[in-house]
Amino acid sequence: MELGLASSPSPAWSMPADGVLIRTVDLWKTYEMGDVQVHALSGVSFEIRRGEYAAIMGPSGSGKSTLMNLIGCLDTPTRGEYWLNGQLVSDLSDDDLAYIRNREIGFVFQTFNLLGRATALHNVELPLIYSGASAEERLARAREALDRVELGERVHHKPSELSGGQRQRVAIARALVNNPSLLLADEPTGNLDTATGLEIMALFDRLHQGGNTILLVTHEHDIAARAHRVIHIRDGKIDRDDRIR
Amino acid sequence: MKSETTSRRNRTSFWFTAREALGIALSELRAHKLRSFLTLLGVVISTATLIVVMSVVHGLNQYIATHVADMGTDTFIISEFPWTMTFEQWLKAQRRNRPVDIEEYDFLRDTMQASKHIGASATLSLPPPAHYGNQQIDEVVLNGVTPSLIDIGQTEVLYGRYITDSDYLHRSMVCFIGHDLLTKFFPNTDPLGKEILVRGLPFRVIGVAKSIGTSFGQSEDNFVQIPLTTFQKIFVARPQLSIFVEAWSSGQMAALQDEARELMRVRRHIPYSEADTFGINTSEALMSAWQSLTGTIFGATVGIVAVFLVIGGIVIMNIMLASVTERYHEIGLRKSLGARRSDLRMQFILESSVLAGAGGVMGILFAIILTALVRAVVLPASVSLTAVVVGLLLSCLVGLFFGIYPASKAAKLDPIEALRMEG
Repeated sequence: MELGLASSPSPAWSMPADGVLIRTVDLWKTYEMGDVQVHALSGVSFEIRRGEYAAIMGPSGSGKSTLMNLIGCLDTPTRGEYWLNGQLVSDLSDDDLAYIRNREIGFVFQTFNLLGRATALHNVELPLIYSGASAEERLARAREALDRVELGERVHHKPSELSGGQRQRVAIARALVNNPSLLLADEPTGNLDTATGLEIMALFDRLHQGGNTILLVTHEHDIAARAHRVIHIRDGKIDRDDRIR
Repeated sequence: MKSETTSRRNRTSFWFTAREALGIALSELRAHKLRSFLTLLGVVISTATLIVVMSVVHGLNQYIATHVADMGTDTFIISEFPWTMTFEQWLKAQRRNRPVDIEEYDFLRDTMQASKHIGASATLSLPPPAHYGNQQIDEVVLNGVTPSLIDIGQTEVLYGRYITDSDYLHRSMVCFIGHDLLTKFFPNTDPLGKEILVRGLPFRVIGVAKSIGTSFGQSEDNFVQIPLTTFQKIFVARPQLSIFVEAWSSGQMAALQDEARELMRVRRHIPYSEADTFGINTSEALMSAWQSLTGTIFGATVGIVAVFLVIGGIVIMNIMLASVTERYHEIGLRKSLGARRSDLRMQFILESSVLAGAGGVMGILFAIILTALVRAVVLPASVSLTAVVVGLLLSCLVGLFFGIYPASKAAKLDPIEALRMEG
């Protein structure tokens, strides 16, 4: 833990032998609202190991969205350090963050966020386009990812021709296609009915068994209960960190 | 660390992005046909204008090169007015110049020793009708000519013969007809020796001219030539002439023109300080005047096209800004999946180029139709490949340039803010 606090930006533990995937050290995120400073996060430190299945829980306004944006490399902290897969990512440039998002993180959103005019295959291909894979490689890997979510039959369908559960599975295939080290899911069942939500959660279980590290962000206890560890956030701080199994 | 990260980065496939941009731009065009058309109107008009003007000038150049240069570099024409004048010269010439008459022709023919051939022709200003049997042509060009005109190469004999000195001296009622009259009056019969009626008067056909073709949409073969002396006797007693002078070589042209000018000035008693009251015209002078005219046309066209392109570009920029705003969510998503600023910048610049390029293609199609119309009705014109390429390139460049601002706006968006927008 002390190693991460080294002031030098050079990675003190570039290849984590201890299997730590995420390490945050005293993360702060402060917004200026006129003259008032609002602390969305005030000193969050935790670790997530490779292969873990964790959930972040908290009521709205707790800072869990801010934390998810930081972990997803969509934003940078005001203060503190964030190490992802052995790299200090808390003060990278915009384009370097884009690279990390492309290679290390697979996003699954509540609203699926698929391109409406593109086929399932094209949607899954998108991350590979930005990592510069060749056309054949893109096609092969996108098909493989769609097979993994059992949508191999529907590669040429557009999102409007798919059910909600199928859309979310396309989104999960898109998140998996670049073999990221972290699957980051933000309320993945929020827009689905209970039965379909359970299907998706079963898929997450399978992916976890297959070796994927999964971080769920949710406010539903049922969903969080699927994870092996639940981190409760309240007022920008870690309130509780429970290991369920 | 940063350089390590950047150097590991592969390049995003340009062709994929290009294909995607093409697809998006085309589906936008399909989805909003009228809006797209209005958006692209500026680019369509400017591309079409550019190509039509280039095509017409190109066609006219070819026409002038074949028809005017046909007159040859060894021949000049003396007539009432010079072909090329400034506006002030033209005003002055309207007051001072006098038609060239038959005595002046006789004088030049007898006095000019150095010319190879000299001839003259006059044209009836109101084209008369012509008849043969129950066939009629409402208007024919009626020329009174000297026998020498055939030597200067204005027409060629297909069969029969041209007007001779004997016809000229005896004011014979004979005619040499253009190819159109042959096809209209004598499709299956030998015209030689037959009599046709021109304004009710009988003329015996002695020869037929080779077909010349059309110019400015008018047939050049619809003429009847009769001896100038007959023309004087029947139609106009004091005709206004064009005198054709052919030199032995183009090197002799300048000297021969000087001689003709001096003789005309002496004959007309023009004082030393005054300008000519007639015109001496060469195809070369006409060509150079034509070239300066096309230069002016091109200059004006470039100005108009530039204005339209800027307007068209601004409209495209506006629509692209709207498109960026409409697609905040998509931009945020792409960023979350790892698109860099440069990827998004390229996507939107390509999209705007494709959009403008589509306008260019529409402009080209429009120009091709317009040019075909122009060719059918008035002028010789042909769409050149250069014009098409220039038009397409220019429209794409406009899209590229005016796409820069909307594209960099998209590229700079904060992914969290953008994702929060409704998709």
